[in-house]
Amino acid sequence: MYGLHKLLWDIRKDSELAKRFRAQTSEVLNEYGLEGDSRQAMLTLDFKKLHEIGANPYLIYFCALQLQVGRESYYEQIREGKN
Amino acid sequence: MGKVVGAFATSHSPGVTGWPERADPRKREAIETAFGEARRRIDELKPDAIVAISVEHFTNFNFSNLPAFAIATGDSYLGPVTAEMAEFINVPQHEYPGNGKLGRHIYEFALTNEFDPALVEGGLAFDENFCVPLKHLDPDSKYPLVPIILNGVNPPWPTAKRCYDFGEMVRHAVEAQNEVQRVVVIGTGGLSHWVGLPESGTVNEEFDRDFIARIESGDPEQIKNYSPQEIDAAGNGAHEVRTWIAAAGAIGAPFEVLAYEPVPEWLTGTAVAAATPGLNL
Repeated sequence: MYGLHKLLWDIRKDSELAKRFRAQTSEVLNEYGLEGDSRQAMLTLDFKKLHEIGANPYLIYFCALQLQVGRESYYEQIREGKN
Repeated sequence: MGKVVGAFATSHSPGVTGWPERADPRKREAIETAFGEARRRIDELKPDAIVAISVEHFTNFNFSNLPAFAIATGDSYLGPVTAEMAEFINVPQHEYPGNGKLGRHIYEFALTNEFDPALVEGGLAFDENFCVPLKHLDPDSKYPLVPIILNGVNPPWPTAKRCYDFGEMVRHAVEAQNEVQRVVVIGTGGLSHWVGLPESGTVNEEFDRDFIARIESGDPEQIKNYSPQEIDAAGNGAHEVRTWIAAAGAIGAPFEVLAYEPVPEWLTGTAVAAATPGLNL
Protein backbone atom coordinates (compact mmCIF):
# COMPACT_ATOMS: atom_id res chain seq x y z
CA MET A 1 0.00 0.00 0.00
CA TYR A 2 2.90 2.36 0.64
CA GLY A 3 3.93 2.39 -3.01
CA LEU A 4 0.36 3.21 -4.09
CA HIS A 5 -0.02 5.92 -1.48
CA LYS A 6 3.33 7.38 -2.45
CA LEU A 7 2.32 7.48 -6.10
CA LEU A 8 -1.04 9.11 -5.31
CA TRP A 9 0.67 11.74 -3.14
CA ASP A 10 3.49 12.37 -5.59
CA ILE A 11 1.06 12.89 -8.47
CA ARG A 12 -0.94 15.29 -6.32
CA LYS A 13 2.18 17.29 -5.49
CA ASP A 14 4.03 17.12 -8.82
CA SER A 15 2.24 18.25 -11.97
CA GLU A 16 5.16 17.05 -14.13
CA LEU A 17 4.76 13.55 -12.72
CA ALA A 18 1.03 13.78 -13.39
CA LYS A 19 1.77 14.60 -17.04
CA ARG A 20 4.26 11.77 -17.31
CA PHE A 21 1.81 9.37 -15.67
CA ARG A 22 -0.77 10.17 -18.31
CA ALA A 23 1.74 9.70 -21.15
CA GLN A 24 3.78 6.78 -19.82
CA THR A 25 1.55 5.06 -17.30
CA SER A 26 3.24 1.65 -17.26
CA GLU A 27 6.71 3.12 -16.86
CA VAL A 28 5.63 5.19 -13.87
CA LEU A 29 3.85 2.22 -12.30
CA ASN A 30 7.04 0.20 -12.71
CA GLU A 31 9.04 2.92 -10.98
CA TYR A 32 6.70 2.74 -7.99
CA GLY A 33 6.69 -1.06 -8.00
CA LEU A 34 2.92 -1.34 -8.31
CA GLU A 35 1.54 -4.76 -9.11
CA GLY A 36 -1.75 -6.63 -8.88
CA ASP A 37 -4.99 -4.81 -8.03
CA SER A 38 -3.41 -1.45 -7.35
CA ARG A 39 -1.56 -1.52 -10.69
CA GLN A 40 -4.69 -2.50 -12.57
CA ALA A 41 -6.73 0.17 -10.82
CA MET A 42 -4.20 2.87 -11.69
CA LEU A 43 -3.90 1.67 -15.28
CA THR A 44 -7.64 2.10 -15.77
CA LEU A 45 -8.09 4.97 -13.28
CA ASP A 46 -10.63 2.81 -11.48
CA PHE A 47 -11.12 4.99 -8.41
CA LYS A 48 -13.81 2.77 -6.97
CA LYS A 49 -11.35 -0.12 -7.00
CA LEU A 50 -8.74 2.03 -5.24
CA HIS A 51 -11.27 2.61 -2.46
CA GLU A 52 -12.02 -1.09 -2.25
CA ILE A 53 -8.39 -2.01 -1.78
CA GLY A 54 -8.06 0.45 1.06
CA ALA A 55 -6.33 3.52 -0.35
CA ASN A 56 -6.92 6.76 1.52
CA PRO A 57 -9.97 8.61 0.06
CA TYR A 58 -8.32 12.02 0.31
CA LEU A 59 -5.34 10.85 -1.72
CA ILE A 60 -7.48 9.11 -4.35
CA TYR A 61 -9.60 12.22 -4.79
CA PHE A 62 -6.69 14.68 -4.90
CA CYS A 63 -4.80 12.49 -7.35
CA ALA A 64 -7.88 12.28 -9.59
CA LEU A 65 -8.16 16.06 -9.66
CA GLN A 66 -4.49 16.43 -10.54
CA LEU A 67 -5.01 13.97 -13.41
CA GLN A 68 -7.66 16.36 -14.76
CA VAL A 69 -10.58 14.16 -13.79
CA GLY A 70 -13.44 16.54 -13.04
CA ARG A 71 -15.09 16.47 -9.62
CA GLU A 72 -18.42 15.44 -11.10
CA SER A 73 -16.83 12.64 -13.12
CA TYR A 74 -14.94 11.42 -10.08
CA TYR A 75 -18.01 11.24 -7.87
CA GLU A 76 -20.10 9.73 -10.65
CA GLN A 77 -17.56 6.97 -11.01
CA ILE A 78 -17.24 6.07 -7.33
CA ARG A 79 -21.02 6.22 -6.87
CA GLU A 80 -21.97 4.22 -9.92
CA GLY A 81 -18.80 2.37 -10.80
CA LYS A 82 -18.44 4.11 -14.15
CA ASN A 83 -14.98 4.60 -15.56
CA MET B 1 1.81 34.05 33.73
CA GLY B 2 0.45 33.51 30.24
CA LYS B 3 -3.21 32.70 29.87
CA VAL B 4 -5.52 31.14 27.30
CA VAL B 5 -8.02 33.98 27.19
CA GLY B 6 -10.41 32.43 24.71
CA ALA B 7 -11.00 29.53 22.36
CA PHE B 8 -12.82 29.33 19.08
CA ALA B 9 -13.76 26.45 16.82
CA THR B 10 -14.95 26.58 13.24
CA SER B 11 -15.44 24.53 10.13
CA HIS B 12 -12.92 25.08 7.35
CA SER B 13 -14.83 23.96 4.28
CA PRO B 14 -13.32 25.44 1.11
CA GLY B 15 -16.85 26.47 0.15
CA VAL B 16 -17.01 28.99 3.01
CA THR B 17 -14.62 31.26 1.12
CA GLY B 18 -14.41 29.60 -2.29
CA TRP B 19 -18.07 29.48 -3.27
CA PRO B 20 -20.13 31.07 -0.49
CA GLU B 21 -22.85 32.11 -2.94
CA ARG B 22 -23.88 28.50 -3.58
CA ALA B 23 -25.28 28.14 -0.06
CA ASP B 24 -28.82 29.06 0.89
CA PRO B 25 -28.56 32.85 1.49
CA ARG B 26 -30.02 32.54 4.99
CA LYS B 27 -27.48 29.88 5.95
CA ARG B 28 -24.62 31.85 4.44
CA GLU B 29 -25.63 34.95 6.38
CA ALA B 30 -25.88 33.00 9.63
CA ILE B 31 -22.41 31.54 9.23
CA GLU B 32 -20.77 34.77 8.08
CA THR B 33 -22.43 36.70 10.91
CA ALA B 34 -21.08 34.15 13.37
CA PHE B 35 -17.58 34.44 11.88
CA GLY B 36 -17.89 38.21 12.25
CA GLU B 37 -18.86 37.88 15.89
CA ALA B 38 -15.95 35.50 16.52
CA ARG B 39 -13.59 37.97 14.83
CA ARG B 40 -14.95 40.80 17.01
CA ARG B 41 -14.39 38.75 20.17
CA ILE B 42 -10.86 37.78 19.14
CA ASP B 43 -9.97 41.42 18.57
CA GLU B 44 -11.51 42.35 21.90
CA LEU B 45 -9.42 39.67 23.61
CA LYS B 46 -6.28 41.35 22.21
CA PRO B 47 -4.27 38.14 21.83
CA ASP B 48 -0.50 38.27 21.66
CA ALA B 49 -0.54 34.98 19.76
CA ILE B 50 -2.96 32.40 18.40
CA VAL B 51 -2.42 28.68 18.82
CA ALA B 52 -4.17 27.29 15.76
CA ILE B 53 -5.03 23.60 15.84
CA SER B 54 -6.14 21.77 12.73
CA VAL B 55 -5.54 18.78 10.53
CA GLU B 56 -3.77 19.03 7.21
CA HIS B 57 -4.96 17.28 4.08
CA PHE B 58 -1.76 15.64 2.85
CA THR B 59 -0.41 19.07 1.97
CA ASN B 60 2.79 18.54 3.95
CA PHE B 61 2.65 15.13 5.57
CA ASN B 62 2.21 11.81 3.82
CA PHE B 63 2.68 8.13 4.49
CA SER B 64 6.42 8.60 4.78
CA ASN B 65 5.68 10.45 8.01
CA LEU B 66 2.18 10.98 9.36
CA PRO B 67 2.41 12.31 12.93
CA ALA B 68 -0.47 12.03 15.38
CA PHE B 69 0.47 15.48 16.67
CA ALA B 70 2.93 18.03 15.30
CA ILE B 71 3.89 21.43 16.67
CA ALA B 72 5.32 24.06 14.34
CA THR B 73 7.94 26.52 15.49
CA GLY B 74 8.41 28.66 12.41
CA ASP B 75 8.34 32.43 12.17
CA SER B 76 6.17 32.42 9.04
CA TYR B 77 4.00 30.06 7.02
CA LEU B 78 2.97 30.12 3.38
CA GLY B 79 -0.70 29.77 2.65
CA PRO B 80 -2.46 28.67 0.59
CA VAL B 81 0.21 26.21 -0.46
CA THR B 82 -0.17 26.83 -4.22
CA ALA B 83 -1.57 29.52 -6.49
CA GLU B 84 -4.14 26.97 -7.67
CA MET B 85 -5.38 26.38 -4.14
CA ALA B 86 -5.42 30.14 -3.52
CA GLU B 87 -7.77 30.51 -6.46
CA PHE B 88 -9.85 27.49 -5.41
CA ILE B 89 -10.52 28.77 -1.90
CA ASN B 90 -10.38 32.45 -2.83
CA VAL B 91 -7.70 33.38 -0.33
CA PRO B 92 -4.72 35.46 -1.55
CA GLN B 93 -1.47 33.57 -1.17
CA HIS B 94 0.70 35.20 1.50
CA GLU B 95 2.94 34.60 4.47
CA TYR B 96 1.23 34.22 7.83
CA PRO B 97 3.28 35.38 10.82
CA GLY B 98 4.41 32.78 13.33
CA ASN B 99 5.52 32.92 16.94
CA GLY B 100 8.30 30.37 16.76
CA LYS B 101 9.45 30.99 20.29
CA LEU B 102 6.06 30.14 21.78
CA GLY B 103 5.83 27.13 19.50
CA ARG B 104 9.21 25.93 20.71
CA HIS B 105 8.15 26.41 24.32
CA ILE B 106 4.96 24.37 23.82
CA TYR B 107 6.95 21.66 22.04
CA GLU B 108 9.49 21.41 24.85
CA PHE B 109 6.74 21.56 27.48
CA ALA B 110 4.95 18.70 25.72
CA LEU B 111 8.00 16.46 25.83
CA THR B 112 8.31 16.88 29.58
CA ASN B 113 4.60 16.34 30.11
CA GLU B 114 3.99 12.93 28.61
CA PHE B 115 3.40 14.02 25.00
CA ASP B 116 5.71 13.30 22.08
CA PRO B 117 4.64 15.47 19.15
CA ALA B 118 6.61 15.83 15.95
CA LEU B 119 8.68 18.99 15.62
CA VAL B 120 8.18 21.15 12.51
CA GLU B 121 10.77 23.91 12.50
CA GLY B 122 9.87 25.17 9.03
CA GLY B 123 8.42 24.37 5.65
CA LEU B 124 4.86 23.91 6.86
CA ALA B 125 2.38 25.30 4.36
CA PHE B 126 -1.30 25.87 4.97
CA ASP B 127 -4.25 24.55 2.99
CA GLU B 128 -7.89 25.26 3.75
CA ASN B 129 -7.23 24.12 7.32
CA PHE B 130 -6.13 27.57 8.44
CA CYS B 131 -6.56 29.77 5.36
CA VAL B 132 -10.35 29.50 5.19
CA PRO B 133 -11.22 30.32 8.82
CA LEU B 134 -8.44 32.90 9.20
CA LYS B 135 -9.79 34.83 6.23
CA HIS B 136 -12.77 35.56 8.46
CA LEU B 137 -11.16 35.52 11.90
CA ASP B 138 -7.95 37.45 11.15
CA PRO B 139 -8.27 38.86 7.63
CA ASP B 140 -5.16 41.01 7.94
CA SER B 141 -3.03 38.19 9.38
CA LYS B 142 -2.02 40.41 12.27
CA TYR B 143 -1.77 37.75 14.98
CA PRO B 144 1.32 35.49 15.10
CA LEU B 145 0.45 31.82 14.97
CA VAL B 146 1.60 28.61 16.54
CA PRO B 147 0.17 25.97 14.20
CA ILE B 148 -0.49 22.55 15.66
CA ILE B 149 -1.46 19.69 13.38
CA LEU B 150 -3.20 16.55 14.51
CA ASN B 151 -4.02 13.57 12.37
CA GLY B 152 -7.66 13.60 11.36
CA VAL B 153 -7.21 12.24 7.86
CA ASN B 154 -6.16 8.62 8.20
CA PRO B 155 -6.83 5.88 10.73
CA PRO B 156 -5.80 5.15 13.35
CA TRP B 157 -6.44 8.61 14.71
CA PRO B 158 -5.47 9.91 18.14
CA THR B 159 -8.32 9.23 20.56
CA ALA B 160 -10.78 11.93 21.54
CA LYS B 161 -9.44 11.72 25.09
CA ARG B 162 -5.89 12.15 23.89
CA CYS B 163 -6.88 15.21 21.88
CA TYR B 164 -8.64 16.76 24.86
CA ASP B 165 -5.65 16.03 27.08
CA PHE B 166 -3.33 17.50 24.44
CA GLY B 167 -5.38 20.69 24.57
CA GLU B 168 -5.08 20.77 28.35
CA MET B 169 -1.34 20.38 27.98
CA VAL B 170 -1.28 23.38 25.63
CA ARG B 171 -3.08 25.44 28.27
CA HIS B 172 -0.58 24.41 30.93
CA ALA B 173 2.28 25.21 28.57
CA VAL B 174 0.92 28.71 27.98
CA GLU B 175 0.60 29.20 31.73
CA ALA B 176 4.16 27.99 32.30
CA GLN B 177 5.71 30.96 30.47
CA ASN B 178 5.51 34.71 30.93
CA GLU B 179 6.56 36.18 27.62
CA VAL B 180 3.28 35.75 25.76
CA GLN B 181 0.55 36.89 28.06
CA ARG B 182 -2.66 36.53 26.10
CA VAL B 183 -3.24 33.48 23.92
CA VAL B 184 -6.27 32.55 21.87
CA VAL B 185 -6.72 28.96 20.73
CA ILE B 186 -8.54 28.13 17.52
CA GLY B 187 -9.56 24.64 16.41
CA THR B 188 -10.72 24.14 12.84
CA GLY B 189 -12.40 21.29 11.00
CA GLY B 190 -15.63 19.28 10.75
CA LEU B 191 -18.39 18.93 11.40
CA SER B 192 -19.90 16.01 9.48
CA HIS B 193 -18.63 15.55 5.94
CA TRP B 194 -17.24 13.04 3.52
CA VAL B 195 -14.22 13.69 1.29
CA GLY B 196 -13.61 11.63 -1.84
CA LEU B 197 -16.35 9.18 -0.87
CA PRO B 198 -19.76 8.45 -2.40
CA GLU B 199 -21.57 10.20 0.47
CA SER B 200 -19.84 13.51 -0.29
CA GLY B 201 -22.36 16.34 -0.16
CA THR B 202 -24.48 14.80 2.58
CA VAL B 203 -24.57 16.07 6.15
CA ASN B 204 -25.23 14.04 9.30
CA GLU B 205 -27.23 16.64 11.19
CA GLU B 206 -28.02 14.27 14.05
CA PHE B 207 -24.30 13.75 14.75
CA ASP B 208 -23.60 17.46 14.39
CA ARG B 209 -26.31 18.54 16.83
CA ASP B 210 -25.25 15.91 19.34
CA PHE B 211 -21.63 17.07 19.06
CA ILE B 212 -22.74 20.68 19.54
CA ALA B 213 -24.71 19.71 22.66
CA ARG B 214 -21.64 18.04 24.09
CA ILE B 215 -19.29 20.91 23.28
CA GLU B 216 -21.78 23.36 24.78
CA SER B 217 -22.12 21.27 27.93
CA GLY B 218 -18.53 21.92 28.91
CA ASP B 219 -18.47 18.41 30.40
CA PRO B 220 -15.12 16.89 29.45
CA GLU B 221 -16.38 13.34 29.82
CA GLN B 222 -19.03 13.87 27.14
CA ILE B 223 -16.38 15.13 24.77
CA LYS B 224 -13.65 12.64 25.56
CA ASN B 225 -15.66 9.46 25.22
CA TYR B 226 -16.23 9.55 21.45
CA SER B 227 -15.17 6.35 19.76
CA PRO B 228 -13.70 6.37 16.24
CA GLN B 229 -16.77 4.43 15.08
CA GLU B 230 -19.14 7.09 16.40
CA ILE B 231 -17.25 9.80 14.55
CA ASP B 232 -16.96 7.68 11.41
CA ALA B 233 -20.76 7.71 11.11
CA ALA B 234 -20.44 11.38 10.22
CA GLY B 235 -17.84 10.83 7.51
CA ASN B 236 -14.10 10.66 7.10
CA GLY B 237 -13.99 14.45 7.35
CA ALA B 238 -15.77 14.40 10.69
CA HIS B 239 -12.60 13.10 12.29
CA GLU B 240 -11.48 16.71 12.18
CA VAL B 241 -13.70 17.36 15.23
CA ARG B 242 -10.65 16.27 17.21
CA THR B 243 -9.44 19.84 16.65
CA TRP B 244 -12.54 21.15 18.44
CA ILE B 245 -11.96 18.63 21.21
CA ALA B 246 -8.36 19.80 21.62
CA ALA B 247 -9.55 23.43 21.72
CA ALA B 248 -12.07 22.43 24.39
CA GLY B 249 -9.25 20.97 26.43
CA ALA B 250 -7.24 24.15 25.98
CA ILE B 251 -9.97 26.41 27.37
CA GLY B 252 -11.64 24.02 29.84
CA ALA B 253 -14.97 25.81 29.52
CA PRO B 254 -18.25 25.38 27.64
CA PHE B 255 -18.46 26.62 24.07
CA GLU B 256 -21.24 28.79 22.77
CA VAL B 257 -22.13 27.71 19.24
CA LEU B 258 -22.70 30.99 17.40
CA ALA B 259 -24.12 29.27 14.33
CA TYR B 260 -24.70 25.82 12.94
CA GLU B 261 -26.05 25.13 9.50
CA PRO B 262 -26.08 21.93 7.45
CA VAL B 263 -24.74 23.19 4.12
CA PRO B 264 -24.58 20.44 1.46
CA GLU B 265 -23.33 23.01 -1.07
CA TRP B 266 -20.22 23.43 1.10
CA LEU B 267 -20.19 19.68 1.73
CA THR B 268 -20.23 20.10 5.52
CA GLY B 269 -22.19 20.63 8.63
CA THR B 270 -20.82 24.13 9.17
CA ALA B 271 -20.43 25.73 12.58
CA VAL B 272 -18.69 28.54 14.44
CA ALA B 273 -18.23 28.39 18.21
CA ALA B 274 -16.62 30.50 20.90
CA ALA B 275 -15.58 30.00 24.50
CA THR B 276 -14.77 33.37 25.99
CA PRO B 277 -15.56 33.05 29.68
CA GLY B 278 -13.54 36.10 30.67
CA LEU B 279 -14.88 38.48 28.09
CA ASN B 280 -17.28 41.21 29.09
CA LEU B 281 -19.84 41.04 26.33
